[in-house]
Amino acid sequence: MKIKAQGIIILFLFFTLAFFSCSSKEKGLSSQESRLEIAVIPKGTTHEFWKSIHAGAARASKELGVKVLWKGPQKEDDRAQQITVVEDFISRGVDGIVLAPLDDRALWRPVRDAVQENIPVVIIDSALQGDDFVSFVATDNYKGGELAAGKIGELLQGKGNIFLIRYQVGSASTTKREKGFLDVIQREYPKISLLVQDQHAGSTTETAYQLAENLLNRFPDVNGIFCPNESSTFGTLRALQEAGLAGKVIFIGFDSSPKLVQGLRDGHIHGLVLQDPVKMGYLGVRQLVLHLQGEKIDKRIDTGVCLITRENMDDPEMKSLLMPDLT
Amino acid sequence: MKEKSRIQTVINWLGPFLGLILVMVIFSSIPEVRDRFLRVPNLKSVATQSVIVALGAMGMTLIIISGGIDLSAASNIALSSVITAFAINAGFPPLLAIFLGVITGGLIGLANGSLITSLRLVPFIVTLGMLGIARGIAKWTAGNQKIDAPLTWVNELMAKSPRPSWLLMAPGVWMMIIFAVVMAVVLRYSVFGRHIFAIGSNEATARLCGIRIKRTKIIVYSLAGLFCGLGGVMEFSRLTVGDPTVAVGLELDIIAAVVIGGGSLSGGSGSILGSMIGVFIMSFLRNGCTMMGWPNYIQEIIIGAIIVVAVALDQIRHRKNF
Repeated sequence: MKIKAQGIIILFLFFTLAFFSCSSKEKGLSSQESRLEIAVIPKGTTHEFWKSIHAGAARASKELGVKVLWKGPQKEDDRAQQITVVEDFISRGVDGIVLAPLDDRALWRPVRDAVQENIPVVIIDSALQGDDFVSFVATDNYKGGELAAGKIGELLQGKGNIFLIRYQVGSASTTKREKGFLDVIQREYPKISLLVQDQHAGSTTETAYQLAENLLNRFPDVNGIFCPNESSTFGTLRALQEAGLAGKVIFIGFDSSPKLVQGLRDGHIHGLVLQDPVKMGYLGVRQLVLHLQGEKIDKRIDTGVCLITRENMDDPEMKSLLMPDLT
Repeated sequence: MKEKSRIQTVINWLGPFLGLILVMVIFSSIPEVRDRFLRVPNLKSVATQSVIVALGAMGMTLIIISGGIDLSAASNIALSSVITAFAINAGFPPLLAIFLGVITGGLIGLANGSLITSLRLVPFIVTLGMLGIARGIAKWTAGNQKIDAPLTWVNELMAKSPRPSWLLMAPGVWMMIIFAVVMAVVLRYSVFGRHIFAIGSNEATARLCGIRIKRTKIIVYSLAGLFCGLGGVMEFSRLTVGDPTVAVGLELDIIAAVVIGGGSLSGGSGSILGSMIGVFIMSFLRNGCTMMGWPNYIQEIIIGAIIVVAVALDQIRHRKNF
């Protein structure tokens, strides 16, 4: 009786595993020829942004005839698990790794380990300390901030009171956006005064919403606002809508989501600075393949930023950035 | 009768081993990773990846045998890693920082044990509360972000290629092995170890036999806390930063390892060896799935299935006992 039951359970276990291993065995046979194997490791796998990166990497894999292994940490944003994933791919002996490091410091050692095993690494999206990687493919965040400042200055005709709502202490990419924004405002628009420039929205929409609400209560005469990422943009948008100021205050945000696209269409947002994650995924893989083929590649690749407004949001090019085609 | 219980012991022992062997055989027979899976560097990295869960599982084994549970283990690991990073960042000598990290874990465990025994609350509730409290303190200490601590020899504890190369494996892996052996001996042969089993099997009887239940429980939870503290130090060593959001949900991995290894959530059974095998089953599965490039959902489904299977085995064993 008991032996039977245990037997059934062990059989079940065996079949679960055997099922997966068999299905991959068939695949394994067809990919026996010497195709390059490239591991692409994002920060997470469920967010829109990473799906776009995946789409870009898949496109490069098709075009260049390499095999892309897509695998993120099992829990989104878990540094320890991302290290584990990098180590496991080193063990597998892939030909190269494209990595979006969750931490500029914690991922430094695994990357060095990979390089010691002669596995080149291309870093995408966020910077990594050290000098072990072959190329860094990412958005020029400083330029994104400059673009936003130029648009606000233009729409306010060079004068008025504005907020710069910062994202979070210690976030490298958004800090660069904020710096780019500040530099242009101070250099080119001396008549624009910054009512607020050192308040942080925090990591969630909720915290951004509260901050923006408080700021709007305190400075009702604001003319323009810039937010450096998706969550702060959306939180501030909600606060503007609640206060009945949406559309009256010039508002420039960063990144896109369906809600922000709607805000843009309604005229509540006057511009969004967009990155190009599909291109980032594509170029990350391509740079690595070029390096593996022995070509010299640039240490830093900018994947570009652009400013999207209500007027140009339906251009095919802009549309593909707003709502990337993920097939 | 005696014959029967011997067979049962053999099955209890073999069960988890079978699982581990099965997992390893399957991955080492897949052509794509066959020649890579059993190579020494890979085994080394699996061992290093297992250290933190294994340390947590040693304490958890004691707690589960005593009929309790500790949901705060992962938060405790995160808190200890942040405290270690904080201390190193503040310019403390590394050894003192490690000590502080481990002691922090021990204090959280002591708090768990004291609350459970003095307020007579269910361990589930107390440690559920502590899960939030420890995580909150970790975020508070770290100012709601990660702490970048300067590199010291602490970060070598979990390096895959250790500095004195005669060590062969990371010092953390050696620590895991030594502590596992010590705890296995303590649990099997010491009076304290037998008391834990007695409490988990039948607390009322244990009390009548003159076992000091309160004291034993407090020691068990504190000891488990110390192990989490050490796990936290290892986590810091691996990350090189103190991250208050690390290891979310890791307590479930730790509990799963103990349960896969034959621990019973109703108390009274479990072993260090079994729990270590449980840890390695999950580590090898993760490692194999990643090497194959399988998506995360497949990995989650397989590990989930294994936990259910293990608990089912546990149930069958118990049904037999009556």
